[in-house]
Amino acid sequence: MELQIWQIILITLLAFFKTVDWSTTQITTLNTVIYGMLTGLILGDMSTGLAIGATMQLMSLGVVAVGGASMPDYPVAAIIATTIAITSGQGMEAGLALGIPVGMLGVQFGVISNIVKGPIARKAQEYANKKQFNKMINITLLSPILSGLTSAIPVLLSITFGKDIITSILEFMPAWFTSGLSIAGGMLPAVGISMLLMYMPTQKYISYLIVGFVLSAYLKIPVLGVALVGFACAYELYKKKIADLSLLESQYQGGENEDE
Amino acid sequence: MKMSKQTPVLSKKDLRNASCRWFIGPSTFNYETQLAPSVVFALYPSLRKIYKDDDDLIQSINNHYKYFNTNPWVASLVLGAALAIEDENGLDALNTVQDFKVSLMGPLAGIGDTILWAMIPTIFGSIAAYMAQEGSPLGVYLWTALTIGFFFVRTRLFEVGYKQGVKMITEFGKHLTIFTEAVSVLGLMVVGAILPSTIALTTGITFKSGDVVMEIQPLLDVILPALLPVILVAIIYFLMSKKKIKMMTIILFIIILAMVGAATGILV
Repeated sequence: MELQIWQIILITLLAFFKTVDWSTTQITTLNTVIYGMLTGLILGDMSTGLAIGATMQLMSLGVVAVGGASMPDYPVAAIIATTIAITSGQGMEAGLALGIPVGMLGVQFGVISNIVKGPIARKAQEYANKKQFNKMINITLLSPILSGLTSAIPVLLSITFGKDIITSILEFMPAWFTSGLSIAGGMLPAVGISMLLMYMPTQKYISYLIVGFVLSAYLKIPVLGVALVGFACAYELYKKKIADLSLLESQYQGGENEDE
Repeated sequence: MKMSKQTPVLSKKDLRNASCRWFIGPSTFNYETQLAPSVVFALYPSLRKIYKDDDDLIQSINNHYKYFNTNPWVASLVLGAALAIEDENGLDALNTVQDFKVSLMGPLAGIGDTILWAMIPTIFGSIAAYMAQEGSPLGVYLWTALTIGFFFVRTRLFEVGYKQGVKMITEFGKHLTIFTEAVSVLGLMVVGAILPSTIALTTGITFKSGDVVMEIQPLLDVILPALLPVILVAIIYFLMSKKKIKMMTIILFIIILAMVGAATGILV
């Protein structure tokens, strides 16, 4: 199918909104599958969008831009991959062939925009020191717009020209390239999972990791079920630790505990 | 130098306004002062109200333009408490405000990032992804509903920080550490659960002895389900935590490895 102008506009706006939301209100932050879904909705094929969004979500699990580090732009990959897959009619593999590389480039776009925001911040402070407070506020507002462009521009270019490029590339591409890409798609979630293990007290609580593995790999319990078991363990641990803490504190003073 | 304590001027409305302005969040992130421009953007109307004099205001703004970076959700509490200090003590408190912000920046970032950026997206992300693979958007709605709920909580956090003040926020930090540890247990279990189903890695290696062709993969499956994914995670974990190899390097290496594997038939 051919993209309509309104579809191009909506998808580009979606990509723009994505980075603005991720860096301001943060309602859909790290939610990649929703962008596959919404792109699918715009193109009238939500199930393809969901499937590609899910693949990207799994690929991105645990990959977090902690402390402002840049990360691959998985939702942009999902938006492009969904669009290409639906419009070219060549399925997920064609979509991923363009989506993944552009998503990986997202790291660079992020870095560039962070560099440009340096002078903006300095200019804003300059205005403040000249008592031009309104100018300070207004120039600060450029930053979210700039963030949005880092995803809107690659998406606009990819969905406008991507289909033809990808179709001609796919004709030349040897089989090992496309099948290698889908094998990589299967392996990449390991990166995120390893990163998660690094943030968490893995060595201290490795038993729980093993329990989760056994419940799922051997007993085939769905994730939601394992999460409930995990919640039960977490709740007991929390209660015990809080009790320990208040015991410790009551030795000094009769303080009250305010917990959330 | 004014030594007298001031009468607090900020109302609930001002604090809500600051909470909402803080939604500008990490969009101003830059490599020099990180989130400082957002801090100034969020606090400006409140600071304007506290400091009638332009030069006083500039002093305070310059103080807030110093390096600041923490998890944006938890930061609301810190900034709310910081406003409380300034509202009571004015310019005298600038150093206190700065020290308070810096001292809580690290611990709160660690906790907030672990729970909000690692745990919740992993747990809800994997549930949403698995449901989506079966064609159901329910998991997506569930996750989005949760973050919308958080969104409304976040519009109130400046008030909480302002009211509870420095002492309680520091106290709250202690409980948060325990909370984080408990959530980590939940997280680890979920990670253990998604490991075999999320990573797809199988080998196509076969052995021929005479006429009998023996496949390796079924043998591996008998030893341990998802043996190759487990090994892959162990290797990456080792490379990243012990050898400090960067994420992007590993991602590129995996893509190359996958293509070589596909070309040779070692990986299928």
